[in-house]
Amino acid sequence: MKRFFIFLKTELKLSIRDMNMVIFAVLMPLAIFIILGIIYGTQPAFEGASYTFLEQSFGAACAVSICASGLMGLPLAVSDCRERKVLKRFRVTPVSPAFILGVELAMYMVYCTVSLVSLAAVAALFWHVRLQGSLLAFLGSWLLTMVSTLSIGMMVGGIAKNSKQAGVIASVLYFPMLIFSGTTLPVEVMPQAMQKLVSLFPLTQGITLMKNTFLGIAQGNILLPVCVMLAVTAVCTAIAIHFFRWE
Amino acid sequence: MTEAVSVQNLCKSYHGKQVLNDLNLSVKPGTVFGLLGANGAGKSTTIECILGTKKPDCGTITLLGQNPERNRRELFQKIGVQFQEGDYQQEIKVWELCEETACLYQNPADWQKLCVQFGIGDKLKQPVKSLSGGERQRLFIVLALIPNPELVFLDELTTGLDAKARRGVWKTLEQLKTQGLTIFLTSHFMDEVEALCDEICILKKGSPVFFGTVEQAKQQCGCQRFEDAYLMLSDEEVEA
Repeated sequence: MKRFFIFLKTELKLSIRDMNMVIFAVLMPLAIFIILGIIYGTQPAFEGASYTFLEQSFGAACAVSICASGLMGLPLAVSDCRERKVLKRFRVTPVSPAFILGVELAMYMVYCTVSLVSLAAVAALFWHVRLQGSLLAFLGSWLLTMVSTLSIGMMVGGIAKNSKQAGVIASVLYFPMLIFSGTTLPVEVMPQAMQKLVSLFPLTQGITLMKNTFLGIAQGNILLPVCVMLAVTAVCTAIAIHFFRWE
Repeated sequence: MTEAVSVQNLCKSYHGKQVLNDLNLSVKPGTVFGLLGANGAGKSTTIECILGTKKPDCGTITLLGQNPERNRRELFQKIGVQFQEGDYQQEIKVWELCEETACLYQNPADWQKLCVQFGIGDKLKQPVKSLSGGERQRLFIVLALIPNPELVFLDELTTGLDAKARRGVWKTLEQLKTQGLTIFLTSHFMDEVEALCDEICILKKGSPVFFGTVEQAKQQCGCQRFEDAYLMLSDEEVEA
């Protein structure tokens, strides 16, 4: 356990020195949320709604950070280590692929958590955003969304040939998910056919779940999104570990 | 355990080109073994096949009596490695790299002491990328010794070092050898090989052309100087 934390501490320090993830996973979601706050203030989500627009958007803002961490940060970090032959050096030490991926996973969970806490603080302080549902249910859905998205990143980072390939795959996943899964554009305004398509993204399921649990709206079928995300997590993690490339 | 490293019938080819051809090696525990040969003779490929970072086409490899593929994690608790090109995370500092490496092992050596011993004790807080070539080389030898290994692989261990630093490295390695460390090295410096190695193997285009002691090499060629013997055996002698 001790070696896990030493590793995590060092990798986190290196990542912060690089600043990319501080900007994309912490500052960017905060900036988006603050802009929404300035525009919508404490307005209700729609006429007669029992919750404000910001309360409705809180889950999506958390997802911006999850998206940046899982689909940009993690795959690029792992493939960069591979390209620099750092993984080659680790291969002749007692570490396992699961350990390396576990450290990366934990590191990006730290980013997502910092983002969640900073968003919650700003939202509560300036625009009186209140959690209307159960805290446990919201955190559970946040955790599930985060872990499933990060597992996609582990898979991409674990098996991509080089950082260029990882970059291309990351962009192909990151931008559509960022734009179409409800982080920036609400799913409700999309045409029916498109809604069906984007509902296949695990992030879409996650955002809907986070939104509903945050607002305390009873959701018809909670089993489907939970199953989709759990399945994605299991499959991606297994692929990442089993097909892990050191070089 | 009678052999620290045992290689039998190792072959490896890249894109149809034979790089290693039926190589047999044996290194006794507590000795220094030197793998010699010109650039491209297959030294680094041999080391990488032995360590498992490259997959041999055929052959059997045993390290410290174990199969490196099957017992990778257990085995690398006791093996230190310095690759030819040092590799590190972009922004990492010397002490961070040492700490991160040390935490992977059950009984790591005192890396601060090792850094002082190798003359980079005052560089701990510097980014690795700001070190000079020789300092970085010494850092990577330190990293290879951090596991407190029973067996250490050093690929071109003193390339880029000045004369004084090289002597320092030799001294430390000799000390470690008296404590039972087995050393597998490659080098282009024949004075170094003569000073350190108990046994050597000379590779020529992937095939072994000599296996034995430095003295035997000199005798076999009738040369006074080992460098002459090496050039004769590896067929690299330049026409005067």
